[in-house]
Amino acid sequence: MTKSYYEFFCPVKIVAGHAALEHIPYELSTLAASRPMIITDKGVRAAGLLEHVQGAFAEGDMEVVEIFDDVPPDSSTTVVETIAELYRERGCDSLIAVGGGSVIDTSKGVNILVSENASRLADFSGVGVLKKPLKPFFVIPTTAGTGSEVTLVAVVNDPVKGVKLPFTSYFLLPNAAILDPRMTLTLPAHITAMTAMDAMTHAVEAFTCMAKNPISDAYAVSAIGKISSNLIPVLNKPDDEAGRLELAQASTMAGIAFSNSMVGLVHSLGHSLGALCHLPHGLCMNLFLPYVLEYNLPQRREAIGELLLPLAGAEIYARTPAAQRADAAISTIRGLRDELHRRCQLPRTLAETGKVNREQLPKLAEMALDDGSILFNPVEVDLDDALAILERAW
Amino acid sequence: MKKPQRLNLSELNLGPVKRPYVVLMLEIIGRGLEAASQVDEKIRREVERLPPGFMFEMRVLPNGPRMVMEKTEQGQLQYLGRQAPRTPDVSLKFKHLTHAFLVFSFQEGTAQAFANDRLLLDGDIGYSMKLVRCLNRMESMILPKFVAQRALKRYPTLSLPEKLLGGSRIYSRLAKNLVWN
Repeated sequence: MTKSYYEFFCPVKIVAGHAALEHIPYELSTLAASRPMIITDKGVRAAGLLEHVQGAFAEGDMEVVEIFDDVPPDSSTTVVETIAELYRERGCDSLIAVGGGSVIDTSKGVNILVSENASRLADFSGVGVLKKPLKPFFVIPTTAGTGSEVTLVAVVNDPVKGVKLPFTSYFLLPNAAILDPRMTLTLPAHITAMTAMDAMTHAVEAFTCMAKNPISDAYAVSAIGKISSNLIPVLNKPDDEAGRLELAQASTMAGIAFSNSMVGLVHSLGHSLGALCHLPHGLCMNLFLPYVLEYNLPQRREAIGELLLPLAGAEIYARTPAAQRADAAISTIRGLRDELHRRCQLPRTLAETGKVNREQLPKLAEMALDDGSILFNPVEVDLDDALAILERAW
Repeated sequence: MKKPQRLNLSELNLGPVKRPYVVLMLEIIGRGLEAASQVDEKIRREVERLPPGFMFEMRVLPNGPRMVMEKTEQGQLQYLGRQAPRTPDVSLKFKHLTHAFLVFSFQEGTAQAFANDRLLLDGDIGYSMKLVRCLNRMESMILPKFVAQRALKRYPTLSLPEKLLGGSRIYSRLAKNLVWN
């Protein structure tokens, strides 16, 4: 299928592989920065991950001027404003986010305030409000799933108004994403599985939803192949550096794919489930993925069929008749979920989560219809459709 | 016998008519939504869940045609014309006049326009989705099926009486509103 028009943009430099962290001082110097502030959370600090980063700076003759290590899981404008104040007090000139989605979004918010020399983050909420480049900003992901290191969006809670403020601008994209296998080496099995399935869903939805385009397709297919080939081996051997790097790269590639092609109904349902029942995002993605693919089959049989190649490999793809490839692709995803459930108890159904009541399904369906990603789903979804999918996922 | 050729709008020189056509269509959409919010139960239910005084606009960047609507105290949508008394809560912005023309001449569906990066959405996503559903519902009611099918991802299951009755209600309310205003 040829797309009549599309856009693709990703200016983030990818610094990936063995000793990638040690490239940071040089990369900062190319942007005329020398006084970085690190933003992270207690979990990253406790896991000893910061030591790798600090070691890279110490040997690189560059000082980390300030470390803020108290970003909460659900960050807020208050936290962002506090960090921005600290950045100014200490005379920093660049930012390095070390962590997952919350740390990265918080750092994007901080970069807005320190670059605009402003004190109220809410003033910059919306699309395209920012009009000029921000301070040098690097991201070091410590999970392999969100893809936030290559997205132009940040969402930060406003505790005063009780709303989530969205920020969308090309200027929010980091200058560089640093993928170093040391940063994900100690991730526990269930988080490795959940975040990998988050990345898998980003790639699958980017490839199958309405804004798919040839360039993001290439990233999506490659990401799916890397996850399919490396997730189980990494769970078997958690200290497999090469496999960890493959998963980290897959996450970034999936992030590049979906930030250009958007996502669909898996995310609409997953966002609602996460918000209503406080379940991790990756778990929600893993849960809904096959059910939504089945729902989208009438419109996307060919595209889903193509995914059998990266999901199952060339031999299985070649011996599966073309008409059966889409069903086989969905079965492969189901098989992977069964394996992850066996190994890490990652829920495959709403009932298996143990945190959802059946009475909540109508509310979940209603919330999903108000999620922006539903717009990009190839098949129209109304309340009855959403409820039917939730019933199947029960 | 020569096969009749299907009309291809992209081959015609429509430059001079694009602006007046988009202006007219924005007015029709505004008036149509206003009428539909008074008589169509599904649209009324969506509007009910918008906050009081909620205001939105559809416009063409940078300074092109514009349509502004507001939720009234009676819980209906009111067409305000081309001027907004304040910054609207939700803004749907076409990047160029041609992109608006593609959508309003039903060459590109609304969802496809979003997927093709023709349209920018600024404001609360949840409210915006309600508005998109209102627009889809109105289009399915007032447009002939073969036209609505081009605009929508899926044409809803509507019985002939439902379609005729619903559509005529909206049209007659629209006419009344035009006369009274």
